[in-house]
Amino acid sequence: MSGGGRSSASATARLSVLVAVLSVPAFTGVWELVARSGIVNAVLFPPPSTVAVAILEWIRSGQFFADLTASLSRVVAGFAIGAAGGIVLGVLTGRFRLVSSLLSPLFHILRPIPPVAFVPIVILWFGLSETGKLFLVVWGVFFTVWLATHIGVQKVDRGLIRAAQMLGTPQPQMLWEIVLLGALPYITVGLRTAVSISFYTLVAAELAGAFAGIVYRIEIAQQNMQTGQVMGGLAALGLLSFVADRAFATLAERAVWWR
Amino acid sequence: MTKSLLRPDQPLRLVDTFPPSAPAHQAIIRVEDLSIVFDAPSGQVIAVDRVSLTVVQGEFVSIVGPSGCGKSTLLNAMAGLERPFEGQVLIAGEAMRVPRPEIGMVFQQPHLFPWKSVRRNIAHGPRALGKPKAEALRIADELIEMIGLTRFASAYPHTLSGGMQQRVAIARALANQPRVLLMDEPFGALDAQTRAVMQDNLLELRERINATIVFVTHDIDEAILLSDRVLIMSAGPGRILRDLQVSLPRPRSSAIVADAAYLALKRDCLDLIRSEGRRAFEQMEVKA
Repeated sequence: MSGGGRSSASATARLSVLVAVLSVPAFTGVWELVARSGIVNAVLFPPPSTVAVAILEWIRSGQFFADLTASLSRVVAGFAIGAAGGIVLGVLTGRFRLVSSLLSPLFHILRPIPPVAFVPIVILWFGLSETGKLFLVVWGVFFTVWLATHIGVQKVDRGLIRAAQMLGTPQPQMLWEIVLLGALPYITVGLRTAVSISFYTLVAAELAGAFAGIVYRIEIAQQNMQTGQVMGGLAALGLLSFVADRAFATLAERAVWWR
Repeated sequence: MTKSLLRPDQPLRLVDTFPPSAPAHQAIIRVEDLSIVFDAPSGQVIAVDRVSLTVVQGEFVSIVGPSGCGKSTLLNAMAGLERPFEGQVLIAGEAMRVPRPEIGMVFQQPHLFPWKSVRRNIAHGPRALGKPKAEALRIADELIEMIGLTRFASAYPHTLSGGMQQRVAIARALANQPRVLLMDEPFGALDAQTRAVMQDNLLELRERINATIVFVTHDIDEAILLSDRVLIMSAGPGRILRDLQVSLPRPRSSAIVADAAYLALKRDCLDLIRSEGRRAFEQMEVKA
């Protein structure tokens, strides 16, 4: 009886693995059939085979790596600057009430404004330069990381701080070792959220006007009615941000090395 | 609990009485008319009410009282973690306003730095005080040997048992060679057996270090076993009711529980605490 139950449970498990493996190919197959059947307009809704050809052409022409480099460098630079600023100010506002009173009200007003809304003013300020794109990504990343750090610092075990005080820990070491590492589990959560935010803002930044980049390529393809290329761009963007998230999750687990 | 927590197979090794040599009679801690007041939703609460006491160099003093009587607050004031509302705490003649590294503290929870190994946790204090890394680690290694955790020197705190963690916390506090060691119910979170071993360790440790110890507990057996003096505190507001000299001979062992003097002392303590508890309880009922 229990043996039968177990074998039927394992059969279910095996079936769900099979379904999971077949999920994407099956979906792609249905898409291919629907696009070729004439039910939909194949120019607007190209089959996956057309998308694959477009992606291959994109890679072969060499533009793919140029676009990838352009987009990635915006994300990486923006993330690094925004995260560093968010952590430093988060530690200060989380630890010092006066700094918090000065900055927190301002940050709480600015934080909910979607970074995309800054595109018009950024174009006025920076034109189509890289600085403007960097600004948007930094803006998006900064507030997320700042808030996570601020909250994390306030949740640092008071006992740890008291123990460190009793041992004569000087103020800088207190901030950048005890408080920062104490808040690290919260900070890594904020950083991970910021990874996906940096991709959202990248989209806005490149749509606002660029000369290379994955989203720029999508826009150009749209203007030329190359729908295969548009979808190829979307797939590349999805894959890129998925890989970035997974990589960061792995990294974050190691960052909190004492767990 | 009427039995000593010490296990009979772990006899205490201790010198006889606390040596009353010349410098030993100097007061190292002076609490003068200390009051500490907290702001609570219901108004101000007097946690410590005009407490005065003196601790002599080398003495082991316990503060006993029910939970919430302000004994931890009093200890925190000695540590410089709590500001006096009135009065002051002088240690070695200097008023305590902020923590000073020559005053060590062990809390009820070990509060070890989770990102540091045992060795680095203990070396933290000497490093913070600007000692070279090699020297700080040498101090740490000595203390690790003393607490018997050599095998765990590079282990992280979360891999250790509660008793081991607390031993590390004690070693970490000792690494700065404090003149005064403050202990806030350090064995309160441990199981009875571990607690007995820790008490034993502490008695042994005391022979090796030259620190004055103030020990907060709600366990009367523990207080009498360890101390030269027991201060009994009352609750709401926190005051010192009685200052009892523990003149039982040292070395002390678990056999102490059969000693008539021990029993008399313990009965005294219990009577005081019981009547005090009743008074506080009735007071609470009147208020309600």
